[in-house]
Amino acid sequence: MNPTRKRRLVVISLILVAVVVAAALTVLALQQNITYLYTPVEVQAGKVPADARFRLGGMVKAGSIQRAGDSLKTGFVVTDGDAELDVEYTGILPDLFREKQSVVTTGRMDGKRFVATEVLAKHDENYVPRDVAEAMAKAHKKHEVSESKPAAQ
Amino acid sequence: MNPLVLWFHKLGSPPYFYRLAGRLLPWLWGLGLISLAVGLYGGLVLAPSDYQQSDAFRIIYVHVPSAWMSLFIYAFMAVNGFIALIWRIKLSETLAMASAPIGAAFTFICLATGSIWGKPMWGTWWTWDARLTSELVLLFLYFGVMGLYQAIEDRRQASRAAAFLALVGIVNLPIVHFSVNWWNTLHQGSTVRLFGPSLIDSRMLWPLLVMAVATKFLFAASLLSRARVDLLELEAGKDWARQVALADGDAA
Amino acid sequence: MSYGTALSACRALFVRDFSLVWRQRGDALNPMLFAIMVVVLFPFALGPEPNALARIASGTILVALLLAGLLSLDALFRSDFEDGSLEQLVLSPHPLPLLLACKIAVHWLTTALPLLLAAPLLGELLYLPRSELPVLLAALALSTPLLSLIGAVCVALTVGMRRSGMLLALLVLPLYVPVLIFAAGACNAAGQGLPVLAPLLWLGAGLALALVLAPLACAAALRISLS
Repeated sequence: MNPTRKRRLVVISLILVAVVVAAALTVLALQQNITYLYTPVEVQAGKVPADARFRLGGMVKAGSIQRAGDSLKTGFVVTDGDAELDVEYTGILPDLFREKQSVVTTGRMDGKRFVATEVLAKHDENYVPRDVAEAMAKAHKKHEVSESKPAAQ
Repeated sequence: MNPLVLWFHKLGSPPYFYRLAGRLLPWLWGLGLISLAVGLYGGLVLAPSDYQQSDAFRIIYVHVPSAWMSLFIYAFMAVNGFIALIWRIKLSETLAMASAPIGAAFTFICLATGSIWGKPMWGTWWTWDARLTSELVLLFLYFGVMGLYQAIEDRRQASRAAAFLALVGIVNLPIVHFSVNWWNTLHQGSTVRLFGPSLIDSRMLWPLLVMAVATKFLFAASLLSRARVDLLELEAGKDWARQVALADGDAA
Repeated sequence: MSYGTALSACRALFVRDFSLVWRQRGDALNPMLFAIMVVVLFPFALGPEPNALARIASGTILVALLLAGLLSLDALFRSDFEDGSLEQLVLSPHPLPLLLACKIAVHWLTTALPLLLAAPLLGELLYLPRSELPVLLAALALSTPLLSLIGAVCVALTVGMRRSGMLLALLVLPLYVPVLIFAAGACNAAGQGLPVLAPLLWLGAGLALALVLAPLACAAALRISLS
């Protein structure tokens, strides 16, 4: 083998080794929860240490929103389909905040309740015209189809 | 020689490119402005309002096409930079460097419109979401390429160094694109998909696609205009450039 | 004429670079002094309240070390470029990426490693919680070589320029952002008691790639700016 080829071989094999190592570490890392976004099930399973500030993701349960009359305090229930968690928030809520909407809230646990300091409404990638949405809602009602959307992961 | 290869070689010569671009420019600007008008009218007036966001969703007709362009132009710049580094074609250097400011402008539009939409919808102007952060890094990368190009005196060496930086920065492109899948935090996933059905009603989709075409034309027109000027500057001492300058002088 | 093996060239380069640093050992301490002073500025600006300082301690230390590293980057090729030995290095028959990897290694050992050793002291100054310190050190141990490697590529691009300070920062900082995000993410998670492994693994993956790719890219960039 001449020197140029040998050098090229060394370089290529080094790159291959690096890519393999990096890929292995990435696969390991992807198995962990890197965004620190937890769902109510994970919170109730005790995956989040007490006092930790973390993000709670899920859907606002239908009919659970309670607004205090004299302040900006709002209480609602976040659900992921399997478990529910009471959330309390004081402040202005985003426009998209409504029942059955995915939200991402930041805060910490206070006893059994989650006290949020920030509530963000997550918008999904679906865009539907209003008339179509109404027609679909009617059809759902007629056929008694229960509306079940996946919660935010 | 194969006619296609011959045409490619001819395209690489600055005077030929200068004349060809000059002939193409009115068409590109015309098509770009017409499709822009059609797309904006379709998006802002004809498209029905969304069932959740009502009229606020219409910002996607500016936001999404400029986001696509911010990635497309970076890829275009990197490919041209690659050609410039390997085959040292002057035209590719010029095209790569001329596309950087346009890409930066589209990235900025994308960030600004996203921010305007985010305040009422998400409830925040800015959040350190993976998609937003990587798009911001993309803007800084454009600035870095432009800054490096301006800082080196020798024009050809400057464009080669800046092209190299653009190639290094290309690792950011997949991060921007896949960030919504890898770190599923706040930014929604892609609505329009190349493979599989799009998650948007067809009455809302067509203006978006028209806008995507319009931004492509506008980019091409703007790029060719810039590249012509840059080529004239780069080749200022050459005969053809002098002829062009003299002809323009006579006409004026 | 024989040139010796690549290994002997590396050894010669190590000896030369280390002795150059040793002859100017006063200068070598500057990045560390800079980092300490930046960290000391924070209690003055934010007030000496331990709780407030403890919360921002790890982030402040990361940024201070990042900036100190950025300032020392310029010296990586500067003197070699001025006395012409950089061109000799490029012309040498040995693989340039290997030689550059040696130079970057020496640079990391002489500038970043002292900073790493000073980190516990900086932590004490800002009341860094003891539980966060091991994670901070691990994040720094993974991220500082990564920063040196990425920085070296950008320095190689600006090597011929007279006033490259601001420009270098403009080129380097966007590329530093992901590294900082993961390092700070690990420290914050440690502070909250959340799992810290994932961001450290990302840093490790980046480091593995950069160890091989950055010297190659650095060599290519150097050839462009010296041409």
